[in-house]
Amino acid sequence: MTARPGRTALIAGITGGAAGLLTGLALPEPPTGGLILHTVVAVLLGAGFGLLATRQNPADLLYWGLAYGAGWWLLGTLTLLPLLDGGPVAWTLPDARLRLPQLIGLLVYGMGTAAVLTAVHGGVLRGITPRRLLRGATAGLAAALLLIPLTDTMTGGILITTGIIAGLLYPTLFAGPALGSGPALVRGVPYGFLCWILAGLSLPALLDGAPGAHWTLAAAQAALPRLPAYLLLGAGIALVDNALRSLGRLLFADDIRRLRREGAGTRGVRALAYGALAGLTGGLLFTVVMVGIGVLDTVARLVGATSVWTGLLVHLLISQAIGVSYALLFHRRSYDLASGIGWGASYGFLWWILGGVTLFPILLGSTPKWDAAGLASAFPSLVGHLTYGAALGVVYHLLESRTNPWWLTRNTLQTARVTTEREQTLGSAPALWTLTVLIATTIPLLTTPPG
Amino acid sequence: MRRRTLPLWGGAAGLLGALPTGLLAMPESPLAWALLGGHGLVVGTAVGVMAGVRPRRPTTTITSGLLAGLLGWLILRLTLAPLTRGDLPDWSAADAGAAYPDLVAGLIHGGLTGVAFQLLTYRSAARRGEPSTRPEHPPAPRVVIVGGGFAGVEAARRFERLALRGRPVDVTLVSDSNYLLFTPMLAGVASGALEAQHIGAPIRAALTHTRFRRGTVDRIDPVRRNVRLTDGPAEPYDHLILALGAVPHFAGLPGVARHAFTLKSLQDAVRLRNHVLGLLEHADTAPPGARESLLTFVVAGGGFAGTELIAELFDLVHGVLHYYPGIHPGEPRFTLLHSGTEILPELPATLGSYAARKLGARGIDIRLSTRVTAAGPGNVHLSDGAELPTHTLVWTAGNRPHPLAAEHPVDATLRSTAHPGVWAVGDCARAPDPTGRPYPPTAQHALRQGRAVADNIDRVLAGRTPQPFRFHTIGILVALGHRTAVAEIRGHRFSGLAAWLLWRGTYLAKLPGLEKRLRVLIDWIIELAFPRDIAVTSAPPDLNLPGRSVTTWTPATPSSQDTVPHPVPRPETR
Repeated sequence: MTARPGRTALIAGITGGAAGLLTGLALPEPPTGGLILHTVVAVLLGAGFGLLATRQNPADLLYWGLAYGAGWWLLGTLTLLPLLDGGPVAWTLPDARLRLPQLIGLLVYGMGTAAVLTAVHGGVLRGITPRRLLRGATAGLAAALLLIPLTDTMTGGILITTGIIAGLLYPTLFAGPALGSGPALVRGVPYGFLCWILAGLSLPALLDGAPGAHWTLAAAQAALPRLPAYLLLGAGIALVDNALRSLGRLLFADDIRRLRREGAGTRGVRALAYGALAGLTGGLLFTVVMVGIGVLDTVARLVGATSVWTGLLVHLLISQAIGVSYALLFHRRSYDLASGIGWGASYGFLWWILGGVTLFPILLGSTPKWDAAGLASAFPSLVGHLTYGAALGVVYHLLESRTNPWWLTRNTLQTARVTTEREQTLGSAPALWTLTVLIATTIPLLTTPPG
Repeated sequence: MRRRTLPLWGGAAGLLGALPTGLLAMPESPLAWALLGGHGLVVGTAVGVMAGVRPRRPTTTITSGLLAGLLGWLILRLTLAPLTRGDLPDWSAADAGAAYPDLVAGLIHGGLTGVAFQLLTYRSAARRGEPSTRPEHPPAPRVVIVGGGFAGVEAARRFERLALRGRPVDVTLVSDSNYLLFTPMLAGVASGALEAQHIGAPIRAALTHTRFRRGTVDRIDPVRRNVRLTDGPAEPYDHLILALGAVPHFAGLPGVARHAFTLKSLQDAVRLRNHVLGLLEHADTAPPGARESLLTFVVAGGGFAGTELIAELFDLVHGVLHYYPGIHPGEPRFTLLHSGTEILPELPATLGSYAARKLGARGIDIRLSTRVTAAGPGNVHLSDGAELPTHTLVWTAGNRPHPLAAEHPVDATLRSTAHPGVWAVGDCARAPDPTGRPYPPTAQHALRQGRAVADNIDRVLAGRTPQPFRFHTIGILVALGHRTAVAEIRGHRFSGLAAWLLWRGTYLAKLPGLEKRLRVLIDWIIELAFPRDIAVTSAPPDLNLPGRSVTTWTPATPSSQDTVPHPVPRPETR
C-alpha cells in the first residue's frame, strides 16, 4: 500500500473505533473497563493496524485484519486484560472458552477495519466487473455442487445460495494478481472460516437482533457442524475461481505477457518425484500417530483388507499421492523453510478437513461426523496431518532448493523480477498461515467436552 | 549475518522470548523455569533455522515463531511430555484441552521470539526488502567457461550446486551458440530423421543461475587473466575453463578443407541434409553423364561418427527415393573410406566386423586402408590412385583440439601446466589418464571432466589440492541406421535390434530436459508412420552440369575454420 501512513492510521483508527464500538455493543457481556474505554482502545488498535497496513498490499489486508484480531485476542484478551484486572493470565481452556465471544468480536473487528481500508485504498469498487462476478458466482456454485454429496449439515439449497454469495464476494475482495492453485487453496480455507463467522455465527444474530448471543461457546458449538462445510466451500471457491481465471487467460488472453512464462511441462518429473519423497517422509511421521491411536487396520478397510501392514501401505501411498499434489500445487512457492512449513502445515490442515474428517468416513461407508464429538475424536488425526504437512513442506523445500535456488540471480534485473514474484507469493501468506494456526487451535476450544 | 549463525541468534531470541512468557505464566518451580527456557531454546533455534539468509519481512519471522510454537506444542507437549512421564501419547482432544495453557504460552512465546529474532538480526537490506544477488559475501571468485558443450555446461551446473552448499562462484559461460548440442544425434538431423532444434537444449534454460554470453573468443590473455571476444568487453577471470572441443583436422590435404562437409554443428547437419536432397532434385532430371557424381556420397573416416553418418545418409536417400521417379534405386552409391584395417576401431573387432557386414550387405562400399589425398569440386582422389566422382564428401577422419586450447596442455588434474588459473576439459583438453594416454573424446568423459574441474577449482579456492581426474569408459553405442546398432557396455556386447533399442533408449534418456526427450520421441514416432520430409530449406546447389547454363560449383560448406577467426565449436563428443 503506497498511501501516507498518517492518513491510513487515522482512517484505520476511526474505523477501528467504530468497529470496536459495534463489537462492544454486540458482546453478550459489557466489555472490561466499560464501553468508552473499549472504544478508545479500539481506536488505538485500529491506528496501529493502519500503520502496519501501509506496508501491505490492499488485496491482502482482509487476512491481515483477521490475523491482527486473533493476535490481540491472545495477547490482549487472554493475557494483558486479566493482568490489568489484577489476576493471572487467562490461558486455561475454560478461561479461553469464556472469552470466545471476544475472539469472534476481535476477528470481526479486524475484518471490518481491514475491509474499510481496502475499500479506501485498494479500490474494491474498481475491482468489481461483470466478468469477475460471473466467475465468482460460477466458482461458488461449482464448489457448492461438489460439496452437496459430502455433507448433510447444510441443505443443498442453503449450500448453493451460500456458495453463490460467497463466490460473488471472493473475487471482489481479492482482486490481486493470480496466486497459483496451491496458495489459492490455502487462501480459501480462512475465507471459509470468515464466511462461517459472518454467515454461520453473526448473520443469524443480526437477524435476531442479538448478535452477542450467537458468539458464545454454546452457539459456536451449535454451528460447529457447519464449520467444515464452510472451510471446504472456501477452499473450493478459491480453487475453482483460480482455475477459471487461468482458463480464461489461456483461452482469451491476447497478450502473451499475461500468461505464465514457464509452461506446466517444465516442472518436470523431478518435481513430482520430490513431492512423492517429501510425502513419504511426512507419511512416516504421521505413522507414529496412526500407530499410537491404532487406526491402521481401519485404513486397511479402504481397500477391503484388515491387516495393519496393508493399512500402513495404503497410508504411505496416500501420503505420497498428496505429496505429489503438493508438488503440483506449490511448485516454486517456498522461499525458505518458514514458507515451506507454512504452506505444508496449511495444506495438511486442509487435508484433515477434506480427507480425515470427510472422505475417510465416506469411503468406509459411513457419514462424516462434523459435530463437536466427531471433530474431537478426529483430533489425533489433526495432529498427524499438521505434522505431516509441516514435514512435507520442509522436505519438498529442501529438495527443490537443490535444483531451484531462487536467490541466486544473475543480475539486478533478475533480482528485481524474483523479488516481485516473491512479494506477490508471500504477500498475505504469513497471515494465511497464522489463520491456519488459529483455526487449528480453535478446534480443541470448540470440541473439548466441558470438564 | 551468516546462515550458520542464525540458529544461534534464534536460540538467543527464544531465550529472550521465554523470559516475558515466564513472567506472564509464572511457573511454580525452578524446574518449570528450566523447562520453559529449554523449550524457548528449541523453538528459538527452530525459528533461526527456518529463517533464510535472504532479507525477510518481520511478519514472516513472527509467523515462523507462531508455526514453531504450534509445532513445538504438538511435538514437545502432546507427544514427548507424556513419554517422559512413562505414558503413551494419545493426542486426544481432552489432552489438548488440558495442555491449552501451554498452547497459548507457546504461541505467545513464538510470536515474541519472532520479534526478538527480527530485532537481533536486523539489517539494512532487510529493511529495504531488497535481496541482492549475494548479499552475505564479498565478491565471489570469477570463473569464465569458454565453450557450451557437455563439459562446459556440466562444469557450470556443478558450480551452481556448489553455490547451494555455500561456496558461491561468479560463473560466466561464453559460447558461440546458445544451446547445448546433443552430438550423438547429429547424424539423425543430417538424415532428416530429427528436427534440428530438438537436439539442442538452450543453455539459458539449463543454467538458470549462470551468466551466459554468446560470443566468439578472439584471444586469451593468461597474464592479465581475461578473455577477449570478437565483440564487446573482455571477460576477466580468476579461473578459466577451456571447453572448446575439437575442430576438424584436414592435414593440409588439397581441396579438402574447401570442398568437404563437416559434421560439428546443427548448421553443418542441416546444410548436409539440404545438400543431399538438393542433389536428388538435380539428379531426378539430370542427363546420364552427370548423375554418377550427383548420386555418389562419400564419407571419410570409419570411426563412430563416419560409420553412423554413412548409414544415416543411406537411410535418408533410400527413404525418400520414391519421390524421385527419375532415379533408379540402384543408382545411389555410398562409400566409406577408412585408413585402418577395420572400421569402428574403438569397439571390439567382432562388433566392427558385424558393422562392416551389415553396411556391406546394404551395398555400402567400405574401403579399408584407403585415405583421401585430395578433393575437387566434383571428385575425390584416394590414396590407392582411384578417383571417385562425387559432389558429397563428408570429413570425419580427423580432429584436433581447438587451437586456443592447444596452447594450454593440462595435467591429470585438468589444470594447465603453464598457467595455474587455466583449466581445460573435454575434447580440447587431451587430459592424460593414469597410463599417460589421453582420455577418449566422448560425452561421458566430457561430462565427468566438467564436474571434476569445478570440484578442483573449488578445492583450489578453498586452499586445498586439486585431485587427478579418473574415469573408465562405461560403454560405446553406435547406430547403424535402420533398426541396427552395435554396443559395448561394461564389456558386454550387443548388436542388431537389441543394440538399436539400447542406443535409442540410452540417448533418449541422456537428452537434456524432458521437453527435448518428448520432442525427439515424437519425431521417432512420426517416422514410423510417415516418410522423411524432403523440403529443401536452403538455396539449391549451383552445379556445373552438362546442358545447364550454370558454370561454377560453389561448395555448400567450407570449413568453419576458413571464415571464423576462433569459433567456439561443439566438441566431438558422443
